Amino acid sequence: MQADSHVQATSSGYAERPVTKPPNWHALVAWDTTFNGMSTGLFVVASVCELAKPELFTPVVTLAYPAALLLLFADLTCLVLDLGDPLRFHHMLRVFKASSPMSLGVWCITIFSLFATAAALLTLLPIPDGPGLQWARRLVIGIGLVPALLAAIYKGVLFSTTSQPLWKDARWLGGYLTASTLVLGCAEMLLLATLSGYPEAADLLRYALIVLVLLCLLTLALFCWEVRRDLARLNRAKLFRAGLLSIGLGALLPLCLLCAGSYASLESCTAVLVLLGGFVMRLEIVRAPHALT
Amino acid sequence: MATAETRLADVPQTGDMPPAGGSPSLLHRLLNPFRRGVPAAPQRATGFYTDTTVCIGCKACEVACKQWNQLPADGLEWTGNSYDNTGALSATSWRHVKFIEQFPLDDSAAPHGPERDGTRLSLDLLPDVPTPGRWLMMSDVCKHCATAPCQQACPTGALLHTEFTNVYIQPDICNGCAYCIASCPFGVITRASFDGHAHKCTLCYDRQRDGLVPACAKACPTQSIQFGPLDELRHRAQQRVDELHQRGVSSAYLYGERPTAQYSPLHSFYLLIDSPSVYGLPENPVNPWVHMLGDYARSVVSAFVMIAALLVVLFLGSP
Repeated sequence: MQADSHVQATSSGYAERPVTKPPNWHALVAWDTTFNGMSTGLFVVASVCELAKPELFTPVVTLAYPAALLLLFADLTCLVLDLGDPLRFHHMLRVFKASSPMSLGVWCITIFSLFATAAALLTLLPIPDGPGLQWARRLVIGIGLVPALLAAIYKGVLFSTTSQPLWKDARWLGGYLTASTLVLGCAEMLLLATLSGYPEAADLLRYALIVLVLLCLLTLALFCWEVRRDLARLNRAKLFRAGLLSIGLGALLPLCLLCAGSYASLESCTAVLVLLGGFVMRLEIVRAPHALT
Repeated sequence: MATAETRLADVPQTGDMPPAGGSPSLLHRLLNPFRRGVPAAPQRATGFYTDTTVCIGCKACEVACKQWNQLPADGLEWTGNSYDNTGALSATSWRHVKFIEQFPLDDSAAPHGPERDGTRLSLDLLPDVPTPGRWLMMSDVCKHCATAPCQQACPTGALLHTEFTNVYIQPDICNGCAYCIASCPFGVITRASFDGHAHKCTLCYDRQRDGLVPACAKACPTQSIQFGPLDELRHRAQQRVDELHQRGVSSAYLYGERPTAQYSPLHSFYLLIDSPSVYGLPENPVNPWVHMLGDYARSVVSAFVMIAALLVVLFLGSP
C-alpha cells in the first residue's frame, strides 16, 4: 500500500459531488409555505389591528378571519398532498416532538385551525351582537395569536434545521420568513380594507405596510449575507430574475407605489404585488438545494 | 423493470394490513398508528466498522443486502466515471460500494502499454512496473448516528433507535414527509417512488433480534465490513490503525468513531486513508439541531419587532 505518494496527482473521487440529497419538496411546498404565511399572517395582523383599534378595524376583520380560514384549508391541502403517502397525514399527530420543527408546526397549525374556525364562526354566524360576543371574540383571537405566531415561525426554522446547502447556513431564514409572513398579512388586510371600502383603515394599513416591508428587507439582507457563498454558486440569470420578481416587483415597487399616495386601485395593486413577491421568494428558497446539488 | 420488482410496490405493509378476518376499514387505518407496543429492553450497542483498506469492491454486501431485504435491482447502469454500476445509496440500495479511481490526470504519467507503443503486453513486466494510481473502495451505508438528525426530524415517530441503538424506520408509520432526507448530512435516506416512504439500512434489525450477523457483514469475503458490539469494534479498529501506521500507511485514520464538537459518534464508522470528501463523506458533519434554538429565537425576535412596529403605526398613525 502506498498511501501518501499517490494523493497529489490523482483524482479527487467524490470530493466534487454533493454529499446531501435534496428532499422531494418542490412547487407544492412553495404554495404550502405561501398559504401558511397568508393565513397566519392575516390572522395575526387582523387580531392585532382589532385588539388595538376595534372601532376602525372591526368591519375589515369580519372578512379577514373567514379569509384566513380558507387560506388555512388551502395550506393544509398542499401540506397533505406533498406527502409521499398523503393517506398517512394523521400519523403526524401520533407524537409530539419538540426537537422536530415539523412536528411542532403540525401541532401549532392544528391548534391554530381551531381558533381560526372559532374566529370565523363568531364573525359570520348570525349571533346577536353584544358585549358577550365581543369578549368571546377577543378571547379567541387573543389566545389564537399564540398558535398563529408559532405556526408562522416554524416554517423558516424547519428549513434552516436541515443539512441542505443554503438552508443550513441561513440563521436568519426563520426571521425573514416570519417577517415576510406579517408583510403578507398586512398586504391582505390592505387589500380587504380597500376592496370593502374602508379608506381610513386602508390609509393606516398603508403606512404599516411601508414600515413592515422595510423591516422585512432588513431581515432579507441578513439572510442573503449569510448565504452569499451559496448565492454566488447559483445561476446568475435565474438569480437576477428571482431577485427582480421577489424584491424588485414584490417589495421595492410596492414601496414606491405606497409612498405615491392613497389611491384605492394603487393600494390593491400594491398588495397583490407584495403577495406575488412573497410567493416567488418562497419558491426560490424551496428550490435552492435542488439548484445547488 | 422486471415484473417481480414492480410487484413489490403492491405488497401491503404490516401497518396497512386489516385486522385478521376483517375487511380493510377506515377506522383501522386511522387508529392503528396510534397503538403503542412495549419497548424492548436495551441491549448492548452494536454497529459496523468498515475497513476500506481491505475492500475489494466485489459488491457482495450490496447483493446480500438486497437479497435479505428483498430489495429490487436498480437497473445496473454504468455511472460513466468508474466501474461502479449502482450509483448511490437509495431507497432500494441500502449498501453501496463506492469506487474511487485515483489515477494521474496527466496521460504521460500513465504506464506504457500495448495501446501506447504497439507492443504486446508482457505479463512478466507487470510486477516491476510501479502502479501510478490506486482504487479506493468503500462500502457505504447508513451511519446509524448516536444522535441522529433524521430521528430528531421525524414528525411521525417512524424513525427511532432500536434496543441495539441502531436507527430504524418503521415502514408502517412513515408518511413520506421527507424531512429526514433534508436532515441527513450524509445523504443516506431516500424516498421510494413505489410507496412514497423513506427507506434505508435497518442494520438487519430482524437478523439481530434472532442473534444473526447482518447480511452484508456475513457476506463480506475480506472482513472489510465488521459487525459487533461498538466497544469491541472501536478497539479492533484502533489496533488496525496502529498496525497500518507501523507498516508505513501514515494516512490511515478512523472516521466517525469519536464525537466531535458538532456531531455525535457514528455507530457505523470507517477506516480511511484519504480525506473524507474523497469518499463522499462530509469533512466536518454538523448536526443541524445545534442551531435550532437560535433560529427560533431570531424568528421570535423578528415577529415581536414586526408586531411592535405595527402597533406603533396603529397608535401613532394619522387617522
